Amino acid sequence: MSTIEATNLTKTFGSFTAVRNVDMSVGEGEVVCLLGPSGCGKTTTLRMIAGLESVTEGEVKIGGQVMNRLPPEKRDIAMVFQFYALYPSVSVGGNIEMPLFYLGLSAEERSREVARVAEILQLGEVLDRLPGQLSEGEKQRAAVARAIVRDPNCFLFDEPLSRLDVEQRHSMRGQIKEVLSGLSKATVIVTHDQMEALTMANRIAIMRDGMIEQIGTPHEVFSKPSNVFVAGFIGSPKMNLLDGRLSAVRDGMATIELGAGSMTFPVPEAASALGQSNLTIGIRPRALEPVDTPNERSLTGQVELIEPMGAETLVHVRDDDARDLRVVLPRERKVTPGEILHLACDLSQTHIFDDSGLAVR
Amino acid sequence: MSATDKKSLADRLGLKVHSGVGNAGWGRTVFAAVISFIYFFPVFWIILTAFKTHNDALAIPPKFIFTPTLENFVAVFSRAYSAGAAAQDTGFALYFFNSVFIAGTSVLLALAIGTLAAFGFSRYPLRGNDTYLFIILTTRMLPAIVVIIPIFLMFRVAGLSGTYIGVILLYTAFNLPFTIWMMKSFFDELSPDVEDAARIDGSSDRRVFFKICLPQVKAGLAATAVFGLILTWNEFLFALLLTGVDTRTVPVAMAQTIGGDIGVRWGLLAAIETLFLIPVIVVTFMLQNHLLRGVTFGTIKR
Amino acid sequence: MKKVWEVYPLRVAFASIPAALIVSALAITLLPPSVSFWVSGAVSAFSAFLFVAYAWGRHAGGLLVAPAIALLFCMNIFPLLWSFGLSFFHYRANRLAPPRFAGLHYYEKVLTDPVVWDRLQVTAQLVVLTVSLQMIVGFLLAMLFAKQFPLRRVLLILVLTPMMLSFVAVGAFFRYYYEPTFGLLSQAVRVFTGEPYVLLQSTAGAIAGIVFADAWMWSPFVMLLVLAGLVSVPKYLYEAASIDRISHWRRFWNITFPYVRSLLMLALLFRTIEAFKLFDVVFLLTEGGPGTSTETIAVYVYRVSFQYFKTSESAALAYILLFTVIVLTNLYLYFANQRNRT
Repeated sequence: MSTIEATNLTKTFGSFTAVRNVDMSVGEGEVVCLLGPSGCGKTTTLRMIAGLESVTEGEVKIGGQVMNRLPPEKRDIAMVFQFYALYPSVSVGGNIEMPLFYLGLSAEERSREVARVAEILQLGEVLDRLPGQLSEGEKQRAAVARAIVRDPNCFLFDEPLSRLDVEQRHSMRGQIKEVLSGLSKATVIVTHDQMEALTMANRIAIMRDGMIEQIGTPHEVFSKPSNVFVAGFIGSPKMNLLDGRLSAVRDGMATIELGAGSMTFPVPEAASALGQSNLTIGIRPRALEPVDTPNERSLTGQVELIEPMGAETLVHVRDDDARDLRVVLPRERKVTPGEILHLACDLSQTHIFDDSGLAVR
Repeated sequence: MSATDKKSLADRLGLKVHSGVGNAGWGRTVFAAVISFIYFFPVFWIILTAFKTHNDALAIPPKFIFTPTLENFVAVFSRAYSAGAAAQDTGFALYFFNSVFIAGTSVLLALAIGTLAAFGFSRYPLRGNDTYLFIILTTRMLPAIVVIIPIFLMFRVAGLSGTYIGVILLYTAFNLPFTIWMMKSFFDELSPDVEDAARIDGSSDRRVFFKICLPQVKAGLAATAVFGLILTWNEFLFALLLTGVDTRTVPVAMAQTIGGDIGVRWGLLAAIETLFLIPVIVVTFMLQNHLLRGVTFGTIKR
Repeated sequence: MKKVWEVYPLRVAFASIPAALIVSALAITLLPPSVSFWVSGAVSAFSAFLFVAYAWGRHAGGLLVAPAIALLFCMNIFPLLWSFGLSFFHYRANRLAPPRFAGLHYYEKVLTDPVVWDRLQVTAQLVVLTVSLQMIVGFLLAMLFAKQFPLRRVLLILVLTPMMLSFVAVGAFFRYYYEPTFGLLSQAVRVFTGEPYVLLQSTAGAIAGIVFADAWMWSPFVMLLVLAGLVSVPKYLYEAASIDRISHWRRFWNITFPYVRSLLMLALLFRTIEAFKLFDVVFLLTEGGPGTSTETIAVYVYRVSFQYFKTSESAALAYILLFTVIVLTNLYLYFANQRNRT
């Protein structure tokens, strides 16, 4: 059985707490991405699972067995390192062969296994080269090949694509996903790139300051961010987060004061319990649409900066309270700097967060 | 139980997760301490002997516990040569002065000339730069005996034998290759961007050298100087053949103390050695970060 | 019209070397030494000047390196060239007779002299023994210090100290420890045999004594280099190795050793060059004895030139040593550059 479970996982370095009470479980065949800004503890979490870092508190279970005290050798895992960690004086074939010695296979079986994964990852031609003579993409594939050559309990990837250029990253993403889907192992991928997480993962765990902020499917974390941090972190361009004050909720319609102006729109029932309080509204840049006349759900501002992104155009609009609103418009919609825009928001993509930053649903 | 308690408990029980390198615990410290002490023992024993009386130094079996005395240190500088005679100056004060003066002057000279040259070799490579550098290093790698024959003749002919000028010149030349290679290795490590920026801002080459490069290699200069001092301080063969009565250095005087007839005064010799070694040991401690580069003449940086 | 030294300054400078050699040789043959010294000095200074002038014209770099090159030329290169010249003449430094031309006589003599071959053999024996002992002890010490542990830096200094000491001091130490009646070694042996032990009296003992002292002094050097290799292994390789469940033996040969290999090679060459010059320790411990059984080639050259005053013969001998060292140094630099590049 290939599963990973972490319960209440905590790691402290001296007085610094790198990881705090992390709970997560990865089922068989599931890919979970640990996503977060640098220094958020995602790599430390992965290293605790691997046994490269001792666990201060909590429990790591792999395949249903508690692994806290076991060194990496005894955990039967495979890992792809950020810098690939290919053994520099051993040929690519030798690198892929390394994990097989432990299994006591004959030379013939070993070379058959190496040939098998080399074919999957198109490494046949470079098997005799040293890692130093490979391109970044080939190194990457060699590292993956070394991980999948045997049948481990689970796979761990530490920032696997961070050293590749944009194009290679794109193709490797697909390749890794394909390889993993054929293996049905529990997999944890650490990354700081949300595109990588969104495309490769079954579920994403978003971390900040050593804690998991939200864990859910790519769709969930995007469409239902559980707090302001996740809302701002996931999605590109960044979500517009507007500080406002809830003045009244009547018949499910809330009036929210946003500095000079105000908006009125339907809110979930939970909002009525808030009473009068400060809150944050999150509106995705693609959820704002220019309208001819202002209404109770629109914001008004002046076009300041235009960034064409190809198919769409990102427009920065400065509203009356000097807030910078990011709006994505279709390419056909021409705007000019200085133009006044009335932007109505799509309610299905509008989120409300309470005083402490939690989503109100 | 708090988190830190748990960690230290795991440490105590040796249950910490191991990775290939990293920390070994106090067990390794104890083992290493035993080995290090055995290794250091010859030096330690000499220092002990320096504080023993003549009889203690020759005691059978060797004495670990004894009443320390400073008489050997006094005798280094002034002692009676025969029983009952008045104490005389032994000249060791002069020899120590000579060692310090000759080493200090020649190292300073070599540092001035060598740093300039190292900068030149590093920043304005001549045609055949590597050949020059190779020849320079070779002169330092040669057996001293090969170099000394012609220099001995040359000094005799030119009347430089036994003079401070002669010895200092020779030691400057002796220190130069080392200084050049060391300082070049430090200059090579500097990022050229800062210098380029300074040049674009209109600084002259001289200004770049003094205001930008030199301050960055201060630690390197210090390390090079100290290494040069140790090398010169320890040097024996040149000093043996080229110093005169007045310019004799400590190693030569020390060798003569051993070379004496029967009944070497070991306590006295140990005291001389102790005085001679202590600066070196102190300096080694200060140099530890540059030791590797120093002992390989800057050819290996890390 | 341009003068030849303006068009080919470097060639002129190079051409001045044989010219200087010829002039010096003539001066040494025809003139008394006190005059010929200054003549040869002047020609070589002129030759050095040509090089410096060339460098000056090209780059500021020439200016910077000129003083260093000039000093090295006067104090090292010129004397070496001078003694090279002398090795073709009959000349004894303690006689007044002017040098007479001898051609390759001394080289022939030196190369066919069984005494020289014997001394080379002694040297080779000492080099092999002391260098291999240093390599082994140094490597083990490095393995000991490769991990972090409390007080590591302090203990490391204790081990590194011998390397920084003077040969004379080390010679004196071990003379005291090997001393037949109250030396520590003799006393330790007496506990078992009841007899005092005179180490330096037998050939094997004298060799062991020298090798032990020299290896004690220089093992830390090997350790320092090996340690540099050991700590340069990226930690993540060991992490990957533990995840890939590689055996310790395979880990050492496939991961650790490749990082140490080049430094081990450098340590070997460096120590071989140094051991080849073994002089001070031998001179102070055994003075080549018993008999001539520990007389290294360096000690022999010293005797030939400063005790027998056979100046020309020693010059020829010295040139054979010089050649060996140049070859070894070249090899050393080749490996050092290769390492620094990767």
